Amino acid sequence: MLWVLALFLHVAAIFLLLGAEFLAAVQVIVYAGAILVFYLFFLMLLDFPREEAGPRFGAHWPLAVAAGLAFAAFAWFIRGPGSGPTAARAAERLSPRNLSAVGIALFSQFGLPFEIASLILLAAMVGAIVVARRKTEP
Amino acid sequence: MVPVSACLELSAVLFGIGLVGFLGRRNIILMLVSVEIMLNAVNLSLAAFSYRLQDLQGQVLALFVITVAAAEAAVGLGLVIALYRNRPGVSVEDLTQLRW
Repeated sequence: MLWVLALFLHVAAIFLLLGAEFLAAVQVIVYAGAILVFYLFFLMLLDFPREEAGPRFGAHWPLAVAAGLAFAAFAWFIRGPGSGPTAARAAERLSPRNLSAVGIALFSQFGLPFEIASLILLAAMVGAIVVARRKTEP
Repeated sequence: MVPVSACLELSAVLFGIGLVGFLGRRNIILMLVSVEIMLNAVNLSLAAFSYRLQDLQGQVLALFVITVAAAEAAVGLGLVIALYRNRPGVSVEDLTQLRW
């Protein structure tokens, strides 16, 4: 889990390099702060005595490695000279006013998806409670 | 200046790592963590495209992906709790009740 935390923080740093400050903050807060702690809570609640003894990978792991390598081979196709942002578009829409620009886009152009995202979060909250609830006899 | 192709390469490799973890692991919680890694790779490539085109839509889409990832973690771990209540252990190879 510590390596996943390191991965999330590094991705957040890359978001910062790409000029997405708000996305980096959300990455640290939501991924490293909320989701990972959620997973750690579950790993603490359920103890797995025989998970540590068994093999870590299933019997079909060569197939999985082949699929992963096939996807990672995309990296070979897109390698090449690095290209920065196109100069044609105005650069002031991104950093340093990234937060206000994202907020304005989120509440004007993407208003309906924003509301749907809140609905998804509500449905996930209710669904998680209903699924994980202990069955009580009526 | 950040080369965008490097970010895309990192994204592809990260997605491959997540795919290996999801397909090859036996522990269902680590499979869910691998899904998070794959979603993170997609977020990275969205941010890279947003930077390349100087367009904010990629970042907004990445925010929605993060929302869906949070929802997926909540529901997935709730399902793990329900599974664990019925049968201890989280190995996916034991879950063969739905097999035809």
